[in-house]
Amino acid sequence: MNTLRKTIIIALGLVLAAFAGISFRASRFLKEPVVAGPSVARVATLGEYFAPIKGTANDANVFFLEGAKPGGTVLVLGGTHPEEPAGRLTTWILAENAVLDQGRIIVLNSTNRSASTVTRPSGAYPATYTIKTDWGGQTFRMGDRWSNPLDQWPDPEVYIHYPSKQNLAYMDIRNLNRDWPGRPNGTLTEKTCYALIQLINKEAVDIVIDLHEAELQYPVISTIVAHPKGLDIAAMASMTLSDEEFKIGMEKSPAELRGLSHREIGDFTKAIPLLFESPEPFLDATRGRTDARLLLEGKDDFVVRAGKRGLLFEKIDAKGWPIDVRVGRHCSTLIQVLSVWSADHADKAVIMTGVPKYAEIIQKGVGAFLHDPAKSDPKKIYYE
Amino acid sequence: MTSTMSMTTSATVILAAMVAAYVLAKILKLSTELSILAAALVGGLIGGAGIPARHIVEGAFTYLDICLIFITATLFMNLLKEAGGIAFVIRRVVQRFHHRKALLFIMLAVVMLIPGMLTGAGSVTVLIVGGLVASVLGYMGIPKPKAAAIVFVIAGLSAAAPPVSLWAMLTAAGVNMPYVGFFLPLMIPCLLLALATIFILGWKAKPADLDQILKELPEAPPGMSWFKIALPFLLFFALVVAGRIWPFDFPILGLPLMFAAAAAITLALSPVHINVLDVSRRTVHQLLPLIGTLTCVGILVQIMTLTGARGLIAISVVTLPVMVVILTLFLTLPISETVLMWGAAPVLGVPLVLLFNTINLNPIVALAGMSIIWPLGDALPPTAIIGRLTVETVGMKEKYGTFLKYCIVPAILIIIVGTLMVVFSKKLAFLTVF
Repeated sequence: MNTLRKTIIIALGLVLAAFAGISFRASRFLKEPVVAGPSVARVATLGEYFAPIKGTANDANVFFLEGAKPGGTVLVLGGTHPEEPAGRLTTWILAENAVLDQGRIIVLNSTNRSASTVTRPSGAYPATYTIKTDWGGQTFRMGDRWSNPLDQWPDPEVYIHYPSKQNLAYMDIRNLNRDWPGRPNGTLTEKTCYALIQLINKEAVDIVIDLHEAELQYPVISTIVAHPKGLDIAAMASMTLSDEEFKIGMEKSPAELRGLSHREIGDFTKAIPLLFESPEPFLDATRGRTDARLLLEGKDDFVVRAGKRGLLFEKIDAKGWPIDVRVGRHCSTLIQVLSVWSADHADKAVIMTGVPKYAEIIQKGVGAFLHDPAKSDPKKIYYE
Repeated sequence: MTSTMSMTTSATVILAAMVAAYVLAKILKLSTELSILAAALVGGLIGGAGIPARHIVEGAFTYLDICLIFITATLFMNLLKEAGGIAFVIRRVVQRFHHRKALLFIMLAVVMLIPGMLTGAGSVTVLIVGGLVASVLGYMGIPKPKAAAIVFVIAGLSAAAPPVSLWAMLTAAGVNMPYVGFFLPLMIPCLLLALATIFILGWKAKPADLDQILKELPEAPPGMSWFKIALPFLLFFALVVAGRIWPFDFPILGLPLMFAAAAAITLALSPVHINVLDVSRRTVHQLLPLIGTLTCVGILVQIMTLTGARGLIAISVVTLPVMVVILTLFLTLPISETVLMWGAAPVLGVPLVLLFNTINLNPIVALAGMSIIWPLGDALPPTAIIGRLTVETVGMKEKYGTFLKYCIVPAILIIIVGTLMVVFSKKLAFLTVF
């Protein structure tokens, strides 16, 4: 009897593990197509800038969008934290639609590709989410904040940041936005940051834009965080956007907070780093039912209640924070930053068209700017 | 369900069903871990997710690292015991300090704080030094339930103590606050409360009768020495310290491998032959209830998050009036720990710290105050994971309630100190220097 009971339990466990395993594998190896846009001149991989990254989970695609006229170079990072989908969707729109007249834009959709292949234990994240399009829909990996433990494990008892030696939470050694400037003999995530620093230096990047989303309980939200050398750009962009499109703040990168892109890239390279934050109720600790609907619609009664209690740093009502609004904010902020930069640096201008602004994305939806790979030239399709 | 009900109603119904399933499973005499699993499965079904294989398996992996630490640390201790090391240490400690109670208490408190401080896990304190300390206390006339209470309370404080305090670290990470400035706000109360605990509960202890104890104690095997006992510990601490001193040159080993290395050295130095497979089997068997509970708690948290039950608990707590929130910390923190263990930090700690931040309290000191209260929940049924581990390690045969009764006085003291730290966090902000 005892043996029979054990056998049944083991069998049930194996069935459960098999179904779960199929799901884990399907999302980890989901191929996300990118249809290279009209200005994509070439597609490299991050491993070309630092050999030890080659062939790893973080050997991400690097899209080079080039204009006819020489100008400045802007690097846009999506997917630093893949669980913040507005960042990845913005870079997708950029790679598939942007038309460069002058200068270059370098785009990464999966800056921490490893983190896009895993979801958080106890977080109950959906495995994937689908953006509706006229041609059906495009499915993306959900991802997490931290690199996949299958790619980087174990964690230390305390993460000691290089080179500041600041103590950080142990799991943040797998957080790409705590590992800057990275180190060549470090963990996969640290090596990824190091590779990105090599890319920034080799390509003489002028501005780095790191796209994020934040829970509404987090004080740094709906804002542009700027390194001291980028404060003027952030201030001008913030003022113009708040006057013409939507309210957005600006903040100076705190010197005592280490490992973040808006601090370390500015300290360790010639580039000006800026970090955009849009509101994502899905990340709030008080959120209710956790599913793809909450991720994309951004509506949650519990988060609204937290807002009424004065616990939030951004407003929320029954309309929520839909993905179109969040992506729209990123796109418009990016366009505005390019405009401010180009106005002040004619020789290093980056002139771009073809990328929709806030109002247009809200009107048409994000899906309207994703291209159908089935109807595209196969030579232009790349997979993340 | 959610399309026709408000989110609050839906989550309340799901939470009620999960509680009912748990209670029913306990009535049917299922184990705690299976009862938790039953609650999670019912939550999934009532919540409209069916039997979500991906979420169940993913949740089961939440505490994998902690399970590995428990297994390797316990294997290390069991091998040391088999090698005769524990008997050797007990005999020497009693011989040296049997007539100086105060000095012995201070030494024992400090010795108990170290493993948890370094690993962030009270269970490691219990497993490494709990049995040894309880034996010494026993020979001083302290009954086993009282000795277990001393070990448990100080083990909890050791887990909250810096440099590794998981509750503080997980909560700080949840609000994107650097884990900096916590050393003194955590170290001072943990050290003082540990000393207070051992002196209060050990007040009636008598100096040990050396001859009688030595007669009753098991003999250490010939060939055992301080060197052979110290070397595995030295190796373990050396590996931890090396990671701190040379963080950019020393490989990241992880605590499980460090404990495994210590276990290997213990085995190699043992003066007696040890059947390592047999000890390994017994170790896993000994830890099965603990690992089972941790695995099922992970599944429960995942399903609660999936269905909104976790959000309901969090929003209900943080929307209470601030004074009510602070004055009920003594209930909410230990209870959340009982249900979620370290999961309590991201679920409850994050909104609480954000709440305290908005009313201008110092988030570091307030979080440190909360962090010393949280471990008390590890003694509370139904899970009582560390409590059960403690009474098992100490070898207590009395009812679990007797052990809990002795925990009350130090627990009240800890709750008062922790709550006052939250209330006066702004005035104590000068402690956040490093």
